[in-house]
Amino acid sequence: MAKDRLNEVLERYEAVIGLEIHTELTSLNSKMFCGCPVEFGGEPNTRVCPVCLGMPGALPVPNQAAVEATVLAGLALECEIARFSQFHRKNYFYPDMPKNYQISQYDLPFCAHGHLDVEVGEGDAAYVTRIGITRIHLEEDTGKMIHVGGSEGRIAGADHSLVDFNRAGTPLIELVTEPDIRTPEEARRFAQTLRTIFLALGISDCSMEEGSMRVDANVSIRPRGAVELGTKAEVKNMNSFKALHDALAYEIVRQADLVDAGGRVVQETRHWDAAAKRTSALRSKEEAHDYRYFPEPDMVPFEFTEEWIAAIRERLPELPAARRDRYVQTFGLPKHDARLIAEDVPLAQFFEQAVDAAGAKLAKPVANWVLGELSAHLNATGAAVGSCGITPEMLAELVVLVDEGTISGKQAKEVFAEMAESGDMPAAIVERRGMRQVSDTGAIEAVVVKVLAEHPAEVESYRSGKSGLIGWFVGQVMREMRGQANPAVVNEVLKQHLDQ
Amino acid sequence: MAISESDVRHVALLARLALTDEQVRHLTVELSSILDHVSEIQSLDLAGVEPTAHPFPMRNVTRPDVVRPGLSRERALLNAPEAEDGAFVIPRIVGAEEEA
Repeated sequence: MAKDRLNEVLERYEAVIGLEIHTELTSLNSKMFCGCPVEFGGEPNTRVCPVCLGMPGALPVPNQAAVEATVLAGLALECEIARFSQFHRKNYFYPDMPKNYQISQYDLPFCAHGHLDVEVGEGDAAYVTRIGITRIHLEEDTGKMIHVGGSEGRIAGADHSLVDFNRAGTPLIELVTEPDIRTPEEARRFAQTLRTIFLALGISDCSMEEGSMRVDANVSIRPRGAVELGTKAEVKNMNSFKALHDALAYEIVRQADLVDAGGRVVQETRHWDAAAKRTSALRSKEEAHDYRYFPEPDMVPFEFTEEWIAAIRERLPELPAARRDRYVQTFGLPKHDARLIAEDVPLAQFFEQAVDAAGAKLAKPVANWVLGELSAHLNATGAAVGSCGITPEMLAELVVLVDEGTISGKQAKEVFAEMAESGDMPAAIVERRGMRQVSDTGAIEAVVVKVLAEHPAEVESYRSGKSGLIGWFVGQVMREMRGQANPAVVNEVLKQHLDQ
Repeated sequence: MAISESDVRHVALLARLALTDEQVRHLTVELSSILDHVSEIQSLDLAGVEPTAHPFPMRNVTRPDVVRPGLSRERALLNAPEAEDGAFVIPRIVGAEEEA
């Protein structure tokens, strides 16, 4: 999909996109309505009980922590929290759902009328767009099916299917946006920003690959300036942020081509095929979307008091956007760097502890180390920040050693590698390896005098205008001193001698 | 009649009930009489009465987020007509694609 093609289409048509995002509350211990554990994977049907298998007579009881997590998400997204709410039954037949209904919410969701401000683009092209959030409700996830026979595990052509109910009953929040999104990039940024918020709230691991965060999109186009909405298609099966972007770009161009050729968009569900890079229509079900919702008779309603809601609000952590702004204002970090750190909760905690230990005036070099060597180390080893062998105190000490001029930046990288390996404190490594950078002017001066005496021709060239040779002289002095001289001091002493 | 035969056929299809024409005619009369009876409520003045979601005056019944033992896989699959690799076996699905 050529980007130019999308831009050309978006000059003539406006895309209208709404997202529907399902997120499993993976940080909870137990399922939505029973005490089975919430985990990913495992042997089929090993985390099941009469409730999540839908056995007759089994009674569901809502998980208090799931209700609180949903309200917390609603508060983080500026939603109004319902004072009165309840669960409904959504009735349909599908084999991954043992009860033949899903316990969900209908006209009284826990949260409604929120919004999220999304920053799109970089630099001069950056802008902020406010995306309305229609509602956030709580429901239970379905089981998983494995299709046997046929190709690629798809339903079409399968001989039969296997059902695993381990996932059935996992607490699931569904967030629906207003159709406020106008480009594939805005959709991607919305989903990414939402993910950083849910991660900051600690309610889910939000893995699109493992399916704990699933994004579906409704998309239509209309000629620029038109008010009336076009017919929308629903696009599913996007397993990454890139897939979300690419599927929407494909779908917008597909609809534009259809309309340009005199055709009409059909309301249907389309499946994104990441390998083929296209969407294709799913066979539509007869009598679709007649869910006959009715209030769940097995559970009594909820009434939330102001005090209860206020107590949940107290639990709101600092959200990534606020944290980023604080890093910019308090520590003077560049906005881009501040965002990268602020959006990653464990990295942000590491950064703040390191800044505490090193002192706020060293926040910038600490941030550089966190985004540079530390992130590279984490990527290379696959380790988590908390268990990578490098503590905030170690990094802080390293940054202080550089700031004091005890070691050079180049030496610090060697020390970093060694402390990652050995777990020793940087000062001990510097001591052991005799790495102490020489900043003593007298010692450096002796070497400078020696180097200049050995290279009269170069001294002559420098003095006759080839000032670029200063770097060469620094190199010679550093070599004599086995890299342990403070480069700034070397530079200064050299200039004193050469320029006299 | 409060509902038509086609309403009955529609609801039967949604509930996966195979009804004969005779049963459809019969149920249309029976269901209509039930709906007619219930519709008497609509003649009452119910302004200001909240919809009753539940007859019990109870609210906010939840359980703590604690794991409790469930069923062993053997017991979970005991009533399954067919099982394979620890999973419930279902027949080929016709005329439908993946559901979210």
